[in-house]
Amino acid sequence: MRRAVILLVVFALVDLVRPLGSSGYGAQALLAFGFLVLAAYTVGEIAKSIHAPAIVGYMAAGVIFGPVGLEALSHETVVRLQPVSALAVALIAFLAGAELRWEEVRERWAALLKVTGTELALSALALGLTLFLAGPYIPFLRDATTVELVAVAVLVASIAIVHSPAVTMALLTETRAHGPVARTTLGVVLISDVVVVMLFSGALALVRSLVPVSGAAGPGVLAIVWEISGALIVGGVLGAGIALYLRFVAEELFLFALLVAFLGAEVARLTHVETLLTLLTAGFIAENFSPPARGQALRHAMERSAAPVFVVFFALSGAEIDVMTVVRLLPLLVPLALVRVGAIWAGTRLGGRWAHLPQEERRWLWMGLVSQAGVAIGLAAIVAEVFPGFGEGLRSMLLALIALNESVGAVLFRRALVASGEYVPGAAATPEPDDSRLSAPGSS
Amino acid sequence: MAGGYLAARLAVGYLARRYLIVAGAEYLLLGILLGPQVSGLISSNVVDSFGPFITLAIGWMGAVIGAEFHLPQLLRVRGATYQTAFLEALLTTAVVAGAMLLALVWLLDVPQQAAVAPALVLGTIAVTTSSSGIALAVRRLAREGAARTPLLRQLQITGGMDAVVAIVTFTLLLCLTHPAPPSTIRPPTPTEWAVITIAIGVVGGILYHLFLGGEQNPDRLFIALAAAIALASGTAVYARLSPLLPTMLIGAILINTTRNRAPIADVLHRVQRPLYLVLLLFAGAAWRPSAQGWVWPILIYLFVRPVAKLGAARLAGRLSGTGRELGPDWGQALIGQGSLAVAIALNYRIFDSSSLPHLVFTAAIASVLLTDFLSARLVRGAVQRHRRRQAEAA
Repeated sequence: MRRAVILLVVFALVDLVRPLGSSGYGAQALLAFGFLVLAAYTVGEIAKSIHAPAIVGYMAAGVIFGPVGLEALSHETVVRLQPVSALAVALIAFLAGAELRWEEVRERWAALLKVTGTELALSALALGLTLFLAGPYIPFLRDATTVELVAVAVLVASIAIVHSPAVTMALLTETRAHGPVARTTLGVVLISDVVVVMLFSGALALVRSLVPVSGAAGPGVLAIVWEISGALIVGGVLGAGIALYLRFVAEELFLFALLVAFLGAEVARLTHVETLLTLLTAGFIAENFSPPARGQALRHAMERSAAPVFVVFFALSGAEIDVMTVVRLLPLLVPLALVRVGAIWAGTRLGGRWAHLPQEERRWLWMGLVSQAGVAIGLAAIVAEVFPGFGEGLRSMLLALIALNESVGAVLFRRALVASGEYVPGAAATPEPDDSRLSAPGSS
Repeated sequence: MAGGYLAARLAVGYLARRYLIVAGAEYLLLGILLGPQVSGLISSNVVDSFGPFITLAIGWMGAVIGAEFHLPQLLRVRGATYQTAFLEALLTTAVVAGAMLLALVWLLDVPQQAAVAPALVLGTIAVTTSSSGIALAVRRLAREGAARTPLLRQLQITGGMDAVVAIVTFTLLLCLTHPAPPSTIRPPTPTEWAVITIAIGVVGGILYHLFLGGEQNPDRLFIALAAAIALASGTAVYARLSPLLPTMLIGAILINTTRNRAPIADVLHRVQRPLYLVLLLFAGAAWRPSAQGWVWPILIYLFVRPVAKLGAARLAGRLSGTGRELGPDWGQALIGQGSLAVAIALNYRIFDSSSLPHLVFTAAIASVLLTDFLSARLVRGAVQRHRRRQAEAA
C-alpha cells in the first residue's frame, strides 16, 4: 500500500515536470521506462500479495497507466520502447534454450512430440469448427461466404492454438519451479511455437487456394523453410561463438548477456530468420557446449539483466491491450476461450496418456498451456492483411483473445505449479538440479 | 562489433592483469572505430536509438558517486583533507577554464561571451580524476602490504571531491545557460532551475527511501533502483538538466538513510561497469570532429590540465598545511581521467549544439584515452616516490 501511494505521488510529480521540458535524446522514453518499471513493480507486488503472478500485475500496470488508462504512456512512447520488448523476446528465447539439456531432449523428444501433436490437433480442430459454426452470428463475419468462413476458421485456428514462451519463462523465472510439470510445459510450449509457424504457413497457402487474398500478405513456402532452417543454422553459429567465449574468456558476463541478446535479435532480423528459434538454438548450443559452471553463470547474468526488461515487456503488453475492445467482444471471446481451454485439457490428457506421462503431469499440464502472446500477435497482423473486408474485425478479436488468454493463462500456470507442489508460495526456491533439468517421463 | 568487443576485451584484459593498466578506455577507441566517422558499422541512427541507455548510464554513474558519501565514514576524516581536496579542485577548474577561455578567444576567434561556457565545461572536465585508477592502485598497494597512508586517504577523498565539484559546477552552468522551455507561461530563472535539479534528487531520494523500505532481495533492489535512476535521469534530461546531480543526491540519500546500505551499494556497483562500457562505446561512436580548427585548443588542454593538476595539488597542500605529509608532486596521482569526464562532455554535447560541443567532447575523450589506461600506474608511482622520499628523510 505504501508503495502504491508513493507511485501515485511520483505520477503527480512527473505530471508537474511535463510543461518544463521537451523530448529529445530519448528523455521521454527513459522517463516512461523508469515510471513503467516502478508502476509495474508496485502493481506486481500487489498481485503477488493476492496470490496472482507478478506478470499479471505488470500487465495491469500497463493497462492502468497506458494510453487507454491514465495516459502516463502515450502511443508514441509505447512504440519508442519497442526495442525493449524485442530485447525481452531475445532474452526469453535464449534462456528457454539454455534450460534444455541434450541428454534430456534425446530422452523426452518422443513424449513431448506426442503431447504437443495431440494437443495442437485437437485445439485447432475444436477452434476451427467453433468459428465455422458460429461465423454467421459474428457481426463482422455475417456477410462472409462459406468458403471464406472455412478460410477464416483455418487461419484463426492456426493462430489461436499458439502458446506463450514469454509467459512460461517469466513464470518459471519468478517461481524458480523446475519439476516435471514445469519442464513438460516448457518443452511443449517451445515445440509448439516452431510447429505453429509452419502450420500457419500451410494454412495460409490453403487459404490462398480457396479465396483470392489481397496483396502479397504472408510469406511464401521457401521463405518459411528458410525462416525455420536458417534460424537453426544462424542460432547454431551464434551458440558456438558464445560457447567459445565462455570457454576462453568468460568475463563481463552481464554485458555479454545483453550483447548476445541484441546481437542475436539483430542477426535474425538481417538474415530474415525466426528470432525466437534463433536465440533458442543459440541458448541450447551455448549451454550444452560450455563448461557447466560458466554456462550457469551466463544464465544467471541473463536472468538478472532480464528482470527489469521482463517487467517492461509485460507492462508494454498491458499498455497495448485495448480494454474497450476486449469488453465489447467479451460475449464472443468467452465461448472461444472456453472451447480452447477445453481442447487443451482434452489434448493434454489424451496425449499424456499416449506418451505415458505420469498421472500428476497429465493432470496439471493443460493449465500451463493456456497463455498466449508474442508470435500470435504478429500472425494476427498477417490475417488482417489477408482479408481486407473483415480483417480488422478478425485482428481485434484475435488480439482481445490473446490478451484474455495471456492474463488468465499466467494465473492458471501459477496455480498448476502450486497444485503440483513444484512451487510453494513464500518458500525459498529449491536449488536447481545441475544435471537433470528436464526430468524423464515417469521419473516423478 | 562482436569481434571488436572480443579483441578489445582479450588484449586489454591481458595488459590490465600484467601491467596495472585500467581497462575501459579501449571501448571508447572501439566506439570511435566502429562509429559513423570511421567504419560506419554503428550508424548515427543506432547511436540515437541508444540515447536512453546513455542517459541511464550517466545517471547511474551519478548514483554510484553519491553512494560513496556515507556520512559516518566521511566524518572520520579530518578537515584538512577536505580543505586540500576542495582547494585542488577549485584551483584546477579556475586555471584550466581561464587558459581555455584565452585559447578559444585567441585561436578560434570565438566571441568572449560565447567562449565562457565551453571553457568552463573544459575546466569542470579537467577537475575529474579516474576513480577506478585510484581504486585499482589502492587495492594493488594493499595487496603488496602497503599500509593505509595519509596520501592514499587524501587521494580517495580528492577523487570524490573532484567529482562533486565537477558535477555541481556543470549543473550550475546548465542552469545559467538554460533556454526557456516551449510550454511555460514564465520561464524559470537560473536559481529556480537549480532548485528544480536539487528537488529531483532530494524528493526522489526520499521517495525511493520510502519505496524500498527494508528490501534486501538483490533482484528486486535492482529493478527498483533501475526504475528510480531511469526516472530521475529521464526527468532531468527531459527538463534539459544534467542527470548527474539528481542521481548523485539519490545515491547519497539512499546510502545514508536505509538499513540495506550494503545490498544497495552492491547492486549499484555491479551494474555500473556494464553501463559504463556501454557509455564509452557509444560515446566513442557519437564522436565527431569539431567544425572549427580543433587541434591546437585540444593540444593546449592536454598540456594545461596536467600542469594545472600538479600545480593546484602542490598549492592546495601548502595552503591547507598538508604539503609536508603529501609531498610536492602528489598531484601526479590525479592526472588520470575516466568515465565522469566522458559523461560530462557527452551531457554537454547533448544539450548544447552551439558552443563548441564537439571540441569539448573531443578534448575530453582525448584526455581519457591518454591518461585512463595509465591512471593506476600514475597513482602507484606517486605513492612509491613519496614513500622513498619519506624513507630518505627518516
